[in-house]
Amino acid sequence: MLEVNSIDVSYGHAKVLHDVSIRLNQGEMVFIVGRNGAGKTTLLRTIAGFMTPTGGDITFEGQPIAGMAAEKVARRGVRFVAQDKKVFSDLTVKGNLELAAHASGEPLERATERLLKIYPQFEKFLDNKAGGLSGGQREILLIGRALVGEPQCLLIDEPTEGLAAIVIEDIFRILNEMKEKVSGIIVEQNLSVVARLADRIYIMKEGKIEREVVNPAEISDAAELECYL
Amino acid sequence: MIDTLLYGVTIGAILYIFSIGLSITFGTMQIVNFAHGMVYSLGVYLFITFLPWVAGIFPLAMALAVAAMLPIAYLVERFIIRRLYGESLDYAIIATYAVLLIGADVIKYIWGTEPQPVSDPIGIPLVIFGVVIQLYRVVVFLSAIVLFIGLKIFFTRNVIGKVVIAALEDRDGVRALGLDVNKYFSIAFIIGSGLAVLGGVLYSPITTSEPYMGFHILLLAFAVVIVGGMGNLTGTFFSAFALGMVIAITGRLYSSAADTMVFVVMALVLLKDPIFNFFRKLVGKPAIS
Repeated sequence: MLEVNSIDVSYGHAKVLHDVSIRLNQGEMVFIVGRNGAGKTTLLRTIAGFMTPTGGDITFEGQPIAGMAAEKVARRGVRFVAQDKKVFSDLTVKGNLELAAHASGEPLERATERLLKIYPQFEKFLDNKAGGLSGGQREILLIGRALVGEPQCLLIDEPTEGLAAIVIEDIFRILNEMKEKVSGIIVEQNLSVVARLADRIYIMKEGKIEREVVNPAEISDAAELECYL
Repeated sequence: MIDTLLYGVTIGAILYIFSIGLSITFGTMQIVNFAHGMVYSLGVYLFITFLPWVAGIFPLAMALAVAAMLPIAYLVERFIIRRLYGESLDYAIIATYAVLLIGADVIKYIWGTEPQPVSDPIGIPLVIFGVVIQLYRVVVFLSAIVLFIGLKIFFTRNVIGKVVIAALEDRDGVRALGLDVNKYFSIAFIIGSGLAVLGGVLYSPITTSEPYMGFHILLLAFAVVIVGGMGNLTGTFFSAFALGMVIAITGRLYSSAADTMVFVVMALVLLKDPIFNFFRKLVGKPAIS
């Protein structure tokens, strides 16, 4: 479905990704783990179209998308959820969905229904300014917003970062439910979430793919993965 | 004093109408757009040209001037401003300042350097609290209020307005949804340019129009946008009226310092945190970053 082949990415003269190759198959949830500065976010941002690789190529459904503008990548069905949990705070929760619905052509009612299905507690916040939401609610709104228009692939950067344990369980449940409907590449540091959800794991270190973990026993052993963080 | 306050709200209204476009361009594109002054002054000169053609019907000449400037604003956005997205601020300043200079030269070439007066289109005086003021100034003030409400509705109810508001906060977030931010910025830019012409035309009976009129108001408008917060449309409204009052009150007390005081206020706003922290330190409290 999505293939990243030997890409190099630089910030000015500083090369941050070196010959990185990963793939995402239909229906898979692939996780990327690694220490801070390993290049995980840069990799997601490059796939999403916010950065242009200096070498290599990226294909989605067989079509090249490397260097394509982010809005075009999103319209192809690859949606990016950034790490910063930044919602459109001056708009209501519904207003946030409305923009996604406007972009994808999906009716707002259906987008709202889908959000309420993944997180019914939003019912009472729909007309509230999104800026007043908690960190966890913002992350859920961002995921819900990215799901509008039924994209085929989600790129989610550190969805549980900085969240309380109870909210992490909500995010885990949402990602778990999502697994059947959409493929995803998720950057995550919470190894308990990774161990429970991942179909495959890529370990990144210093801008390179250090290892691909495919063995279910290894994947489900969070303690074993710990050494990579 | 009442006439001073009324003068302040009139100037505030003009500054608001002019500054909106600048605030949007600043906030969404992070571009310091001096070309806004060209759109303003050229629009006013077109208005002055159209006025006798339409038998002196002020609103009609104003509508024609706005309509005539929209394609020019589009060309400026499409071929100059859009190429400056993401570039260094210096490039934007140089390129848009060049447009401003070209605009002034075009005006001088076509209309000459003589100031162009426009007479008050209403010409009805009102007596408020014993002070005589022109009804036209009240109309200008009310126009700003109506525009503020209209823009509020546009930016909160209309999906294009919502996209612009969202992009002011998180441009990448909007792009990640599949929306071409540049397209919406173009629309916002053109709306802002139309408002600049509107502001200029409304101001023309109060002042005299001359080829460099765009330079002066531009500097005041930058102060309005900085004090109100770049991209903060409500902040721009209040700061425009506040600085309008500063101009009017200072002008009454010492007219030479009227504009200077605007920049003193701007500097105080920019320096508010260091000043606040200085006084906190004086009373033995830690600075707040």
